[in-house]
Amino acid sequence: MKTIQRRDKLKIYGDLLSALYSESSAEKIVLTQVQVKIKVPFDRLKTYITELVNLGLIENEISLELTKKGTQYLREYERVLDFMKRMGLEYR
Amino acid sequence: MYEVERITIEVVSAVACFILVRFMIKPFRLTGETRYLGLPLGFGFLGLTYAFSALSFSPLFDFPSIGGVQLIVRAFAFLFLAVTYYFSKSAKEPKLLWNMTLGLLSAILAILILYAILSPQFLWPNYGLAQIYVRVFDLVCLSYISIHALKSHIEQPDPTTLMIPLGYILLGIGQYSLLVWAVDASILAFFGALALRLVGLAVFLYVSYLTFYSSKKGG
Repeated sequence: MKTIQRRDKLKIYGDLLSALYSESSAEKIVLTQVQVKIKVPFDRLKTYITELVNLGLIENEISLELTKKGTQYLREYERVLDFMKRMGLEYR
Repeated sequence: MYEVERITIEVVSAVACFILVRFMIKPFRLTGETRYLGLPLGFGFLGLTYAFSALSFSPLFDFPSIGGVQLIVRAFAFLFLAVTYYFSKSAKEPKLLWNMTLGLLSAILAILILYAILSPQFLWPNYGLAQIYVRVFDLVCLSYISIHALKSHIEQPDPTTLMIPLGYILLGIGQYSLLVWAVDASILAFFGALALRLVGLAVFLYVSYLTFYSSKKGG
């Protein structure tokens, strides 16, 4: 049976920012698609989005656009994750 | 004999390790998880031992216990790296267990360094033999790390994940060459070990630069 690994909040934030960034090319970001991508319940997704807005990583809860700080964070997050993968380290 | 060459290699190795610490600390800074602290600690301690090696050639540096301290610190550098790989396997390992391991290892390291300085004859009744045992220990740690990194590569085959196991394997062969040198004092084995170490560290630097200074992801 396939098990779903527990993720910490930081990983969820990173995955959410990554999903929002990849959806940003679409005309409108559809939250249910983001929800499917990052595999979290809808109510929790809304909470995470509010938290990211409060952290200044997303513009607001309607546009869901990444701020400059959010883009920088995402870039560093992906690089560190890539580095850990290359180093043979696991991060869950 | 060959002092200038040796000092140069030790200085270059130390500088490479200290640059690597800058990259190795990033997983800890991003995740805040102490289980990744072993990476910067490992490379930092390695860099220190190479700096000690370079300093030991200076006539102004009069510290007879340097060899023993260096041997201990280098063994702990590899141990910190191995423990990091062990704990990275699963997030289920409680943070407390890792923090206790880190604390315990640091305490043992401090005690051993004190013994190496204050009472080396107690710690090393036979220094030549101790050198061999410690190098075997280093080799075991590096083998564990290499196998772990190779397993990660096999689980997710990707050309980018093959370089680091190669780096660790080069460091491991370098340690093996040092072991040969400790047994039969072969100058070829000694300089072979230094060259392998330099190539190994260059691999780590290359991968780090490739990851953090190439513009490919995240906008």
